[in-house]
Amino acid sequence: MTLVTFIAWLSVMVFDTGGQLAFKAAANRGGGDGMAHWRAMAGKPWLWLGLLAFVAEFVAWLAFLSLVPLAEGVLLATLNMVTIMLGGRWLFAEKLTPRRLLGVGLIAAGVILVGVG
Amino acid sequence: MKPRWRFYLIGFLVLMGFDTLSQLCFKLAALHAEPFAADPAWLLRVAGSPWVYGAIAGYLGAFVTYMSLLKHAPVGPAFAASHLNVVSVLILSAWLLHERLSLPELGGAVLIVLGILVLASAEQHDGHAPGDA
Repeated sequence: MTLVTFIAWLSVMVFDTGGQLAFKAAANRGGGDGMAHWRAMAGKPWLWLGLLAFVAEFVAWLAFLSLVPLAEGVLLATLNMVTIMLGGRWLFAEKLTPRRLLGVGLIAAGVILVGVG
Repeated sequence: MKPRWRFYLIGFLVLMGFDTLSQLCFKLAALHAEPFAADPAWLLRVAGSPWVYGAIAGYLGAFVTYMSLLKHAPVGPAFAASHLNVVSVLILSAWLLHERLSLPELGGAVLIVLGILVLASAEQHDGHAPGDA
């Protein structure tokens, strides 16, 4: 892997993980239900940060895929399931129970198999 | 607090529906705009295809659904479970677009469904873990 490819991959990881955690922060902090919840979310930076990260991730992913074959790209990007789970534990005290680890592990393996296939 | 597995089941199925709608519409928009070229004429052909607006509607629906799920669901398992659309897109591409599925693709789809069943059982078994506000 060249330095440029590594930086593209790192960008995908950072924007994807950061975006998902920002979305969770937005959903958590907004008070109320229905439209009130959306108004509360729109008034905080988290939702907008998440959307910005989503756009940045899209660009980084296109750049990354122009450097590596799709199967390799999917294989390397699926690590985001791990970083997002660890981020959820770190920032939101989400429990890493054996069943959750097994479930996420099976899904990650499945996504990699589909990507390789 | 009571496990929210019914809320999750419906929510993730709706999310899968919107995601699938988007992917299918993107594929139909791309077919409509053929041949592909990185030029304004191709972009115009895409914008002139009705399918691309279905894709955008699917994205918006998926976004609203995912944010509603995240209000209660822990983000780690929720992000993993959102990959259920990989399975539905595979099935639809074989059925509607007559794309051939490889053995690894079929195996991967089975693993993803298994993983989501395990996550669903985790919600029932582990209950509503503290911090999963």
